Amino acid sequence: MTTDDLLFYHRVSQFLFLEARLLDEQKWEEWNELFTEDGVYWAPASWEQPDPFHHVSLIFEDKLLRDVRIARFKSPAAYSLQPFPRTSHMVSNIMIDNREGDLVTVSSQFQMTEFRRDKPIRYNGAYTHELSESDSGFKMRQKKAILVNCDGTHESSSVYF
Amino acid sequence: MATLIDNGPKAIDINNLAQDDKVHRSVYTDPAVFALEMERIWEKSWIYVGHESQVKEPGQYYSTTIGRQPVILTRHTDGEIYVLFNRCAHKGAKLVGDECGKAKELRCCYHGWRFHLDGSLLSIPLEQGYDGTDFNRDDPDANVQRVPRYDSYRGFVFASLSAEGPDLVDWLGGVASSIDNMADRAPDGELEITGGVMRYEHDSNWKFFIENLNDLMHPMVTHQSSSLTARVVAKKSLGDQPAPPAIEIISPFTESYSFFDEMGLHAFDHGHGYSGGKTSIHAKYSDVPDYNAAMEKAYGKEKVEEIFAVNRHNTVFYPSATIKGAIQTMRVVKPIAVDKTVIESWTFRLKGAPDELLKRSILYCNLINSSANLVGPDDQEAYRRQQTGLESEGADWVLMHRDHGRDEDLGNGHIYAKGSSDLAFRNQYRAWKRYMSEGAS
Repeated sequence: MTTDDLLFYHRVSQFLFLEARLLDEQKWEEWNELFTEDGVYWAPASWEQPDPFHHVSLIFEDKLLRDVRIARFKSPAAYSLQPFPRTSHMVSNIMIDNREGDLVTVSSQFQMTEFRRDKPIRYNGAYTHELSESDSGFKMRQKKAILVNCDGTHESSSVYF
Repeated sequence: MATLIDNGPKAIDINNLAQDDKVHRSVYTDPAVFALEMERIWEKSWIYVGHESQVKEPGQYYSTTIGRQPVILTRHTDGEIYVLFNRCAHKGAKLVGDECGKAKELRCCYHGWRFHLDGSLLSIPLEQGYDGTDFNRDDPDANVQRVPRYDSYRGFVFASLSAEGPDLVDWLGGVASSIDNMADRAPDGELEITGGVMRYEHDSNWKFFIENLNDLMHPMVTHQSSSLTARVVAKKSLGDQPAPPAIEIISPFTESYSFFDEMGLHAFDHGHGYSGGKTSIHAKYSDVPDYNAAMEKAYGKEKVEEIFAVNRHNTVFYPSATIKGAIQTMRVVKPIAVDKTVIESWTFRLKGAPDELLKRSILYCNLINSSANLVGPDDQEAYRRQQTGLESEGADWVLMHRDHGRDEDLGNGHIYAKGSSDLAFRNQYRAWKRYMSEGAS
């Protein structure tokens, strides 16, 4: 492993930590800027789900739908988000699975605790980040968050894993 | 303040709990009422079990529940469908542990008793040990028991744990046409479950969910934060460009009161009903040209116009199943406790229709039925607040008076009211009261 590889790994890790931090700090517009123009967020509803079009998903959103969800976060009529849930995202086990030109695939494990009103709810799972790199840094072409219990029974949740 | 419920089911006065235009708060909060509902409604009435397309091939099985009881839907080698109690004939262990699969036989995980998929006994290890005892392998009790009644309507399998009662078609009555319309929307005339299932836990009584489906006075209030926001954001991003399917799906939830009034409510015996008819919130989805062509080829132009002229929103097959025929989705109600309910969401493929139709149904499920969807958490919040609010002793009654006495009788047990009426609730409680007082099916 070269120094360049280590620096690259460091930059990728820092990007994943930043992405998680923006969610926890509720800076959703900044978070949304981390996607490419056609980037998608995907939380599948089954473990080996081949695509988001022929099988239901907990969330599958392009930019427009993320804009809607983020605008809803701020709506005074979003009764289920009062008070707004706090989250803590932990990202770990980061590995670079593939790097070809500007395109990078990164896998990691995450834990998210969501505290809403009266109780914390724990979510665990795996992230796959499909990144593209440019001079201005990384952008997400896809962020996939698959919960270990993706096909289990879930309570309501509105925030991003 | 006097309460109508004392301790124990025997003290429940059903006639007072559900009146013509109001119900007592304890129907949502009292565990004794819930236990009685399980016994007299869920374990008596026709309950949706699954769809035939889940067990297409001999050997396939799907395990689920009827009320509190585990059951299995199977397809035996004779090609027939069976609904069995999921319980080994020997020491009672659940025979099928996973949700679905395919097997040549059902083998108990405990002592290895093996059964055919129609429930009949196949073999017992060291069977000679029973020689000369009172155990008789030809006795029906040696088999996995079939539930007393099951039947299927255009692929939708319902079962009843009561040996007596109306047959399925009579029981479905006026809402069978909602299943017909959903299946007729397939150029091949058949539906197929596909695309997985989502299970959404609600901290609230099952009746809040089933009432809400045809509560047309809530969307414009409860769904402001999603539907109105979607309209504003889409307008800002897209200007006058046509809205994508996702926005077409979310926007109508904040249509006007007059729009929802126009949709109308239809009520039938046994608590069934639907909203929408000539129009609904699904009426303005964009056409898929290849689909219309496939439909016309299959049915002819006139019949297709007839099929598409029916545009219903939610149809409720009280108490367990609800469909949206116009978008081919289904939600199944699983009551867990007086204040806990799981809602399953299923999606159907219209056989012979282009892929776009399935993709739109999947998109609909993601946007409206997922536990992380944009619209539903605010419904869930309303149920949760009802569940908590009704613990209050401030008042005993939940009010359902709107337009009472102004229903229109269309004959054959078909009752109509404008969308803003409380007809759907009153009709459900009419059935609820009959089930609960008679234990009727």
